[in-house]
Amino acid sequence: MPPARRIAFLSPRFADGPTVGGAETLLRRLAERVAAAGRDVTFLTTCATDHFTWANALPPGDRKVGRITVRYFPVDATRDVPTFLAVQNRISRLAQVTRDEELVWLKNSVNSEALYAHLRDEGQAYDRVVMGPYLFGLVYFASRILPDRTLLLPCLHDESFAYLSVMRDLFESVRGCLFNTVPERDLAARLFTLPPAHSSVVGMGLDPFTADAERFRRARGIRQPYVLYAGRREPGKGTPLLMDYLGVFRERTRQDVKLVLTGSGPIDPPPALAPHVIDLGFVSEEVKHDAMAGAVAFCHPSVNESLSIVILESWLAGTPVLVHAGGEVMRYQCRQSNGGLWFRNYPEFEESLMLLLTRPEIRQAMAARGKRFVESEYAWPQVEARLLAALDA
Amino acid sequence: MTDAKFQVGAAGVDVDQLVADIRETVRSKMESGAYAGAQLARAERFNLQNLKRDENFFEFYLESLREAVYIDINDFEIRERRRGVGPLLVALKRSIWSLLKFYTYRLWSQQNQVNGLLLSATEEIDRKYRDRLKALEDRVARLESRTPP
Repeated sequence: MPPARRIAFLSPRFADGPTVGGAETLLRRLAERVAAAGRDVTFLTTCATDHFTWANALPPGDRKVGRITVRYFPVDATRDVPTFLAVQNRISRLAQVTRDEELVWLKNSVNSEALYAHLRDEGQAYDRVVMGPYLFGLVYFASRILPDRTLLLPCLHDESFAYLSVMRDLFESVRGCLFNTVPERDLAARLFTLPPAHSSVVGMGLDPFTADAERFRRARGIRQPYVLYAGRREPGKGTPLLMDYLGVFRERTRQDVKLVLTGSGPIDPPPALAPHVIDLGFVSEEVKHDAMAGAVAFCHPSVNESLSIVILESWLAGTPVLVHAGGEVMRYQCRQSNGGLWFRNYPEFEESLMLLLTRPEIRQAMAARGKRFVESEYAWPQVEARLLAALDA
Repeated sequence: MTDAKFQVGAAGVDVDQLVADIRETVRSKMESGAYAGAQLARAERFNLQNLKRDENFFEFYLESLREAVYIDINDFEIRERRRGVGPLLVALKRSIWSLLKFYTYRLWSQQNQVNGLLLSATEEIDRKYRDRLKALEDRVARLESRTPP
């Protein structure tokens, strides 16, 4: 089979700013690598930048970003938000919904008739269309147009939405799936019937970087040990849990451990913890990496991740991680790398953090193993080879 | 946490072993009562959703519930750190509290009764289904042992 020359990538937003999520960043990075490998890459996306309102904030049309042509299409104005939220809330609560209701939910999610028309009229020009993440109407309806050329990059989680009947249509009708990790692929295989030949674990590559913990400590005036979290701050990511845990940890152990946060979203720490939370908001990649390098541990309390880029970055920065045991992917990565610990409840969190605080040799050994793991598994040459093989299959 | 069992071997760390050791430490500390108190139960308020698939979830949930179920409705000492106006503020707070406590005591004591009844009901449901499940498992095991290969 000849190699796929013209590739389209598709996601509801193009990662061009700090507010975009990990899935969009992943799709952009993969698109850039495919373009760098000499393939012709177009990125299809919407004019929206806000994933709550989906308002058209950018002008439609084409823009060249590096080697990629990004084509912006307007989001349909016909979105019925109350209906969308009503069904979404029921799905989230694991209530029974009919297939018609599932379709109503997707139709009132983010959609772009202009983008669908482009795929219908000009889609034959693309050898492959790589799209994701799986939760959006845009991805569902776009996948129905050229299913034999579509590769889904789902970023699948074990959550109520994954069990909808429309998701079975989506996963089982496309040409193949590109997964971030083995546990994500195994979850998809449990839920759907997937042709093994077209289900690849690709992941995302990371470029090596140097980080300076002292530079960060000096600049921020932090002398005490600290735990770091970087990313969106919201209940779904587990940040309220982390704040509760660290507040109790400080009270019980009398250890002066700070919590450093970067990223977006409101925070509401318990009053006793509030003076010990250092909220940096958006920071540059350099500052984020420096902050990672200086932390006792990077803590990721989310249970819904298909790939945690910040955990991989943390290992590259030389810092072990502490994750929630309910996050199957992150627990898997900790076990594969020997670079992190996982907790199920507060007592395990306390013992794990105390271990990292009081046993520097264990902490350093874990950090070294994590770094070695990222360098061997998530270096771009390896990821690129897996990606191009999946595109050409 | 300087227990000798947490070791770095020649091949580096083994996080599976570390987590197993941590869990063993937690188990023995829980037995000794080192992890008790409403403070801990409150810390788990966002975590219960995450533990639903854990085999020990209900046991842990009940433990948290037992720690948090009874609200402290006893009288408490009213203090004031500010000097100067401190005694005046303490007297003011005491008088407000003396007016309110009859009503709040009644409310909170009723709430404690409801909480206690709900906890008892939940414990009873847990015990009943554990017994029933155990009986079913024993029966399945007996039937399987009789089935010819």
